[in-house]
Amino acid sequence: MISEKRIILKNAGRINPGKIEDYIAAGGYRSAGIALEKDETEIIDIVIRSRLRGRGGAGFTTGLKMKYTNQSGIISPGRYLICNADEGEPGTFKDRAIMENDPHLLIEGMIIAAYSIKASKAYIYLRGEYFRSNELLSGAIRQAKEHEFLGRNIFGTGYSLDIEIKTGAGSYLCGEELTLIESLEGKRGYPRIKPPFPTEKGLFGDPTLVYNVETLSNLPLIIEHGAEYFSSIGTADSAGTKIITISGDVINPGYFEVEMGVTLRDIIFELAGGIPDGRNFKAALLGGASGTFIDSTALGTPLGYDSLKSIGAVLGSGAIMVMNDQRDILKMTHSILKFFGHESCGKCVPCRIGNSVLTDGMEDIIKRRDKSRYNLDLLIYEADYMSKTSLCPLGQSPVLPLKSLKRYFEKEFRFDIK
Amino acid sequence: MNYVSISIDGKNILAWEGGNLLQVARENGFDIPGLCYHKKLTPTGACRLCVIKIKGQNGLVMSCTVTVKEGMEITAFDDELEETRRHTLDYLLAEHNDESDGTYKDELWDLAIRYNLDKRENRKYPNICRNLDYKKDISSQVLEYDASKCIKCFRCIKACEEVQGKNVLSFSERGIYSHIIAGFDKWIESECDGCGECVQLCPTGALVEKPHREEIKLYKIEKKIITTCPYCGVGCQLELLVQNGRILRSNGVEGILPNDGRLCVKGRFGFDFVHDKERLTKPLLKRNGTFTEITWDEALSLVASKFLMIREKYGNESLAGYTSAKCTNEENYLFQKFVRIVFANNNIDYCTRLCHASTVTAMLRSIGDGAGSNSIEDFELTDCLFVTGNNIIETHPVTATYIKSGKRKGQKLIVCDPKWTPLVRYADIWLQPRLGTDVALLNGMIKVILDENLTDEKFIKERVYGGTDSLEELKIAVQEYTPGQVERITNVPQDLLTEAARIYACAKTAIIATGMGMSQQVVGTNNVFALINMMLITGQIGKMHAGLCPPRGQNNVQGATDVGCSPIYYPGYIPIIDDENRKRIAALWKVRPENLSGKPGLSTVEIVNAAYDGKIKGMYIMGENPMVTDPDLNHTEKAFHKLEFLVVQDIFMTETARIADLVLPASSFAEKNGTFVNSDRRVLRVRKAVDLPGEAREDRQIIADIAEKMGYDIGNYNSESEIFDEIAKAAHIMAGISYERIDHQGIQWPCPDKDHPGTGTLFLERFNTSDGKARINPVRFVEQTEKPTERFPFILNTGRILFQYHSSTMSGKNRTLNQFANKSYILMNSSDMKKFGFSNGDTVKVWNERGELITTLRESEEVAQGELFMPWHFSESHVNNLTRNDLDPYSKIAPFKLSACKIEKIQTRES
Amino acid sequence: MNRTEILNRFRPGRENLLMILNELQNNSPEHFISDEDMREVAHYLNIPLSSVFGVVTYYSMLSRIPRGKYIIRVCRSPVCEMTGSEGILEELQRILNIRPGETTADKLFTLETTECLGRCNESPGMIINEEFYGKLGSDDPGKIIDHLKSGIR
Repeated sequence: MISEKRIILKNAGRINPGKIEDYIAAGGYRSAGIALEKDETEIIDIVIRSRLRGRGGAGFTTGLKMKYTNQSGIISPGRYLICNADEGEPGTFKDRAIMENDPHLLIEGMIIAAYSIKASKAYIYLRGEYFRSNELLSGAIRQAKEHEFLGRNIFGTGYSLDIEIKTGAGSYLCGEELTLIESLEGKRGYPRIKPPFPTEKGLFGDPTLVYNVETLSNLPLIIEHGAEYFSSIGTADSAGTKIITISGDVINPGYFEVEMGVTLRDIIFELAGGIPDGRNFKAALLGGASGTFIDSTALGTPLGYDSLKSIGAVLGSGAIMVMNDQRDILKMTHSILKFFGHESCGKCVPCRIGNSVLTDGMEDIIKRRDKSRYNLDLLIYEADYMSKTSLCPLGQSPVLPLKSLKRYFEKEFRFDIK
Repeated sequence: MNYVSISIDGKNILAWEGGNLLQVARENGFDIPGLCYHKKLTPTGACRLCVIKIKGQNGLVMSCTVTVKEGMEITAFDDELEETRRHTLDYLLAEHNDESDGTYKDELWDLAIRYNLDKRENRKYPNICRNLDYKKDISSQVLEYDASKCIKCFRCIKACEEVQGKNVLSFSERGIYSHIIAGFDKWIESECDGCGECVQLCPTGALVEKPHREEIKLYKIEKKIITTCPYCGVGCQLELLVQNGRILRSNGVEGILPNDGRLCVKGRFGFDFVHDKERLTKPLLKRNGTFTEITWDEALSLVASKFLMIREKYGNESLAGYTSAKCTNEENYLFQKFVRIVFANNNIDYCTRLCHASTVTAMLRSIGDGAGSNSIEDFELTDCLFVTGNNIIETHPVTATYIKSGKRKGQKLIVCDPKWTPLVRYADIWLQPRLGTDVALLNGMIKVILDENLTDEKFIKERVYGGTDSLEELKIAVQEYTPGQVERITNVPQDLLTEAARIYACAKTAIIATGMGMSQQVVGTNNVFALINMMLITGQIGKMHAGLCPPRGQNNVQGATDVGCSPIYYPGYIPIIDDENRKRIAALWKVRPENLSGKPGLSTVEIVNAAYDGKIKGMYIMGENPMVTDPDLNHTEKAFHKLEFLVVQDIFMTETARIADLVLPASSFAEKNGTFVNSDRRVLRVRKAVDLPGEAREDRQIIADIAEKMGYDIGNYNSESEIFDEIAKAAHIMAGISYERIDHQGIQWPCPDKDHPGTGTLFLERFNTSDGKARINPVRFVEQTEKPTERFPFILNTGRILFQYHSSTMSGKNRTLNQFANKSYILMNSSDMKKFGFSNGDTVKVWNERGELITTLRESEEVAQGELFMPWHFSESHVNNLTRNDLDPYSKIAPFKLSACKIEKIQTRES
Repeated sequence: MNRTEILNRFRPGRENLLMILNELQNNSPEHFISDEDMREVAHYLNIPLSSVFGVVTYYSMLSRIPRGKYIIRVCRSPVCEMTGSEGILEELQRILNIRPGETTADKLFTLETTECLGRCNESPGMIINEEFYGKLGSDDPGKIIDHLKSGIR
């Protein structure tokens, strides 16, 4: 029987998220105090050595991003930290879990990250639909200011930081870091060309560090307990824990913080209680819409960036959507493709038209089955072309679920043998 | 700049460091497809057609987003890349409406043919454009947008934002439904001012021009003529498309200065006047008050006999000529040669006297040259721009695009204008002085600069006559203009004044752009002296990207004076009073020196006054319309009526032609060859595109014919090019310029010899004064004599608007321009409206002791309380009925900008 | 709060555009952004009309048309769709007699769909104004609508 390892969500359900006193009593803001006494290069070094990787989905080494931003250009007044709280990946609500249970943890993580790049201004770009998170974060920022954890001369170190919440208004793509920056600047959510990367030219053209909520929430722990402690948790390629959000056909849907390395089976059948109504497991979609399907043969895979990659899957945001044996993979696929079509900004040709081609193709397959002019291989061909030519990750996404279907569920698309 | 070496498909190429890979590849013959890229725009990476591979990098890369780096090895063409491009193109064609009316160039279709996708059966994807339910936006005056032909490449959006600095366009909706919008998805209600840059850069037929849509067919175009725009003094290079002998389209010419493809609404849509049915086509003689057609022979004989008779009867001084800033250098040169040889006097002038004469006077005295010191690109490259009395977005729209580009790069912009102008939207500081208080304001700024030691001492020591001693008199002159005192006089808040002074003085480089607001005052020359004083003490001239530029109002106002249309100068600013000069010119013209008069002639308003006084008896007017443009029109009209003979040579029956005895039909810019000189002293070619209407003749021929009839030889030229060669001999500043040299791109004078590249920036080493040093001329603020009184409580300001031009003889003949603005109006501040009980749209009478007019009242916060503004283009309400001819003593300019008047409601707005 | 008060709470920089639009919509009794609002915002931020319009039409939570007192947004993300949100949407259409994007004649309800609300553990779900309703069964829409209507009386 495995259990959760709550080191990030340690306060969840134990303290009142609306009270800073509770957070402080639980040891909060100690870590920020420690950080601000250090040189920022030392912090960057600790974070690199901790082997923390980005929890937003891409899994880039967190400390390196910090280092690049810190080294970027000369010290300019404009240098920003952005907390990406635009959690829109279907099936994902780990950031909401943090913000609604322990908002000060995020604030504290932001103080550490902002200090590491000498930013005096940080933004939280928050999903417009997260009303409760907004309420709690706004309160947390206000309290943190009152307690002088934010504002001028924090901990008497001379370092100043202001955090401002900016809410989105319904665009999945704005969760992509460069698009998020455009949106923060008050523009339509169009992705920018890379390079330049935000670490050199981000918000208002200045060096900008963009971190996911969960990533930032790991920082206080790392600073307080050290890189070695953190690095000792998890697996060789994936240190620490991961907050998993599980939904669909399980008995206990919800969020679970688990150590990297636990198996998918443990999560689905132990923590989430398995499949209800006596049904059997058929499939899980890992990492949200831009994730991958697996079947029961993959359930023994340990959780981790590289281990999942080895079976053609991704950890992504940590979402697991479970389907029982009654569920229709084709409809689910259609649902995903429709989603991409709806969220495509339209800037680049492959994504704008490709998503329309894919959705129409999938609709045709569902409607006309073996008579359809499309089949899975043709969809993969289009999606593969899209992934090679699209401007941003959105157009590069559909190929992931489609290829995983080829690997695990090709027979669902073979109407002749049914 | 450095070179880097790269290789493309095995070919080694040297490229500028920092160059764009797609651009470099194309310039080297690799025709990589791409629709969203345009060399004037920042890369977008939207169409994904320009995929390439770079050795050492994973996957496909969009070449438009790559900056070349040393050693890059590129694959531009292989099977995978071509297949990928074909795939993308197939996608684009799936959302595209293939119908074309053949009126535009279609880059998408060219690619479809290249990739063998023009036939539907070769395409893989069903066409979905009908399902998308796109709506067309046909509301604009000048263009139509059809989303079904749009490939969403962003070129129009960036053309509007990055090239024109207007940023009027955006996308609406998202994904496959996204489409271009202006305003709230209704073009005509947007901020669009119709420049058409978006149309020019649209790669497909999504954005097309509206005018002449029905007629134009690209395959029927018989010629494309590159020439110079006939409107303002920017000198934009146009390409005129001619079909069936008519101009049907005008495009900006990409890649050459001054405009690099940019145009304004007039340049693009203002050519219809050439073919207007009201063009004069026959000589007209007034008999018993009405005009009747006569033959050319009769007309020429009549002019000759009348002029000879008047000269016989009243002497050499009794004749005068008005030449035109609209005509070419060659025509103007010939005209002044005609006046000097045939009339044997120097009574020649033109409207320059009414616009920048004061500026030129002050500049000549202080720095020795009256022309703009810089090039148009400097408006973008300078660190600080001080724009004063100059509604540059409306009067020099393309120059303004350079300012807006500079602004995006962080330029500091100070606008000084009593009236709001569109440039204020871009400004860091807007100084809004009361009308006629500029000297106080500038002296105030000078005082701040002196008090805070922000002067450039090295510059003053080395480049200013008298060195730092020259500051002593200036210090005394500006002593009383403390910020507080200046605020009382000008109404400009002290802190703004101080900040503006600091920004200007401390900028690494700064340019002043001065306009009619400064020059058209009784104290016009003093205003410019004050400006120059500020410039000299801060050393903001004599180096790159710094100086003083008075953008010229008319296409060839610079050139006309350059080639000698002046009562005091021969071509090239050579004083006529100097005997040596006269001898040299006489030799060139093959006349006896004593036959050329050494007596300074009369200037524009002086000629009118002399006519009024009965001293001028006969006049030859070529292309000018003083009956609209002169101050105090009632006086002007009376003066012209006193003439014994007035001949007007023009393309339309202008207000002035109407009161002439004889009217000669002449040529428009599109019907002749020649040159114009633009505001940055660039000599630009004018080329014949279409034939003259009816019996109209080229102006140079008419001048020569009149001279011949009168028994004079003013030269025998086989072509305009030969006339120019003579100009080059007469005027040193153009000595090195010839048609051959300016065939591709104009050259800026001074250009002393055939190998000289021309001069972008003046005064880098010395000023054009006798000792090479600049002069500080301290001036004091003088209260205006024209003041609001109980009887005439308002001060009226006049000016121009984007959509009309000068006396609107040309612009007013274009349906497109008239759709934007074709009616006179007067602006009044809302609090004055309330105070005096007016409402928006009232018909009002505006009057003073000089005259009256009737116009429509518009409420506007663009003017300050107590001040009114009226555009002067509209002949139905001649604003110059109200202006004065109290001249600036130095330059003889008239104070168009400031007239006391009363305004009365005569009819409430019809609702 | 009226429009001017909302505008004045923000520095007139373009980066505040989305926040201002959100606020204007939240403070509008009909939950929408009017042309007049957009015009004033463009003026206040010194940006072109199309920039405001383009942003309003890009973001799915912003509306240019007046909406009802209650905005019902049914999640149609993959999990909710799998667990029955289509049925919920159909039921709501039947009860309210409107299609997605429309508002009832009494101006009480507007029906919309939304992408993932991040409440997948309670799927299928919907959000009415700011309140979330999860684990919806087929008879829940009727009950919820009745409850909201009774609250109005």
